Amino acid sequence: MFTPAPRVQVPSTAANGEVFPVKTLISHPMETGLRHDDRGNAIPRKIINKFICRHNGVVVFSVDLHEAMAANPFIEFYLRATESGRLEFVWEEDGGGVHVLEHQLTVA
Amino acid sequence: MEKTIPLGFTRRTVLTAAVAGTTGFASAALAPSPPPNGDAADLVKQLTGKAPTASDRLHLVMPQVFPNGYTVPLTLVIDSPMTESDHVRHVSVLAPRNPLVEVATFHFVPQRSEPRVSTRIRLAEPQYVLAVAEMNDGTLLMTESWVEVATNGCK
Repeated sequence: MFTPAPRVQVPSTAANGEVFPVKTLISHPMETGLRHDDRGNAIPRKIINKFICRHNGVVVFSVDLHEAMAANPFIEFYLRATESGRLEFVWEEDGGGVHVLEHQLTVA
Repeated sequence: MEKTIPLGFTRRTVLTAAVAGTTGFASAALAPSPPPNGDAADLVKQLTGKAPTASDRLHLVMPQVFPNGYTVPLTLVIDSPMTESDHVRHVSVLAPRNPLVEVATFHFVPQRSEPRVSTRIRLAEPQYVLAVAEMNDGTLLMTESWVEVATNGCK
């Protein structure tokens, strides 16, 4: 059974008001549901359908992903540093699977 | 889940658009806001119920030619101060010539996230990729970028 492995690259410290990049990647085949196996049976869709980034529990960025996102979806986005706290990254998969990473951000 | 959308595209209209796209490149660089592709505007109206306006506040940066349809890089930047009174709510990326048109929707939060994102997408064939932004006042802004892929990334 394939286990998706999420990764993030995000600074540990940022100045107040500074815009910093966040790079995220999760290894995942993003099976579109359009393919067939060698017996002609449709392979069911299984993709990461939602990505959410929260800062101290507040959603600061999110993405709805559809079938045309590449496998191993990579998303780079930019946040504004407002307060120290916990950044939470959540990937939701078809079938209810949830993958979470957390990161401590210190705003000076 | 699957949406079938009558696109009214034919090989001829696509090829004509491709030729127009290449010859129009120099003039497009001079004119900041090219008129939206009529088919694209119709498609957006079908999906959202609202008519989009072509805007040079949206920047959809993609390679014009890319060998591999499985991982086409995409960068999206929207000019916006991201204040409570003037911000981008969300931006959708559409690939009208893919078997499933919707690619992704990015949601931004004023004063917390910048309207700027990079990712990688799948494209089935050469086409105009669309970006449609909904602003906080409900208006839709649109831009498009011609991408020529050599392999089908949707098989």
